[in-house]
Amino acid sequence: MKRIIFAVGLFALPAFAESNVTLEPLPEGSVSAAEGAQMWENIHEVFTHPRCINCHVGEDNIPLWSGPHYGGEARPHGMFISAGDSRIGAEYLACSTCHGPENSAQLHGAPGAEVWLLPPVEMAWHGKTSAEICAQIQDPERNGDKTLLEVAEHVAGDPLVLWGWEPGPGREPAPYSAAELADFVLKWTAAGAPCPS
Amino acid sequence: MQLTINGTPHDIEIEPDTPLLWVLRDEIGLTGTKYGCGIAQCGACTVHVDGEARRSCQVQIGDLEGAEVTTIEGFGSPDKLSLVQQAWVDHQVAQCGYCQSGQVMQATALLELNDSPTDEDIDRVMSGNLCRCGTYPRIRAAIHDAAAKIKGA
Repeated sequence: MKRIIFAVGLFALPAFAESNVTLEPLPEGSVSAAEGAQMWENIHEVFTHPRCINCHVGEDNIPLWSGPHYGGEARPHGMFISAGDSRIGAEYLACSTCHGPENSAQLHGAPGAEVWLLPPVEMAWHGKTSAEICAQIQDPERNGDKTLLEVAEHVAGDPLVLWGWEPGPGREPAPYSAAELADFVLKWTAAGAPCPS
Repeated sequence: MQLTINGTPHDIEIEPDTPLLWVLRDEIGLTGTKYGCGIAQCGACTVHVDGEARRSCQVQIGDLEGAEVTTIEGFGSPDKLSLVQQAWVDHQVAQCGYCQSGQVMQATALLELNDSPTDEDIDRVMSGNLCRCGTYPRIRAAIHDAAAKIKGA
C-alpha cells in the first residue's frame, strides 16, 4: 500500500493549472444591495449547475453524472468510480485513465480538459443550501485560500472551470459564460457579498 | 510524432487526433489491444502510457510526443509470461477472451501501485473494465494470486 503514497505524488504533478486572468475590483459600494442579491442568485445558478456541482462533491469522493440521457436525478459516476481522498483517483483508478486533455468527440465519450480532478473536499457544494455555499465561497478555509477577487479570476480562467462552458457533445453547458460569472462575482463583492438568509 | 512502443522507437506520420488505439492496431500491427466501445466505457483498449493505465481509444496520438507506450505484447511472452499473465492462466480467467488484454493491463497497473489490494480496491479499479462473460470472480482471484507472487518474488 505504501506505493500509493508515491502514486499520489506521481498523478498530482499535472493537476495544478491556474487561471492567468487578472481582473480589477469594482469600487466598494458601487453596486446596490438589491443588485448584489441578484448577482448571488446568478452565481448560485452556475455553481449548482451539473457541469459544476457534479464534481463539487463531498467526502465520499464520488463524482456524479446527470443530464438528459441519465434521467432526472444525478447518479453516481458509472464504473464504481471513486476519486479517493486524493480527488484524482490515485488510490484506485486515476481520473486520467479515461479523461485526457480534450473532450471526446463522441456522445457519451469521456470529457476532458487540461486537468481533470475533483475540487478539494472542503469545496463540496453538493447537498448544501444557497446560504451555505454563499458563506463557503467567501471563506478562505473553504475556497482554496482565495480573496473574492481571486475567486473571480479563478472562474474567469481556470481550465477546468472553463470546461463547464465547452463540455463536449450531449452535455448542457453551464449558464451564462465564464466572463459573465466573473463579472457577477465582482459586482456581488462590490455590494458587500450579501448572502440569502 | 516520435514515441516508444514496447521499447521500440517509432516515427509516426498521421493526423494528430488519431486515437492511439488505431495507431497500435492499424499502423504498428499490434492487435492485442482491442476495440470495444470507443468511448472509454469498457476498458478493452487499456494500455500503459508512461507507466499509467490509459484507454487508448481516448488518447490522441498528437499528445504522445516522446511517450513510452506499453501494450499487452510488451508484457511477457508465451514462453515467459508475466506474473499477472501466469495468474490469468492458472485461474483460467478468460472465457471468450476479448476483454482480457485490457483486464491484464489494468490489473498490472493496479499491482504496480498497490501490491496488497483488498477486494474493494480491486473492484474500484477493475470496474471500468467490462467482461460480457462475467469472469469477475476469477479476475479478482487472479489479482490476489498475482499480488502474492509479486510480493514473494
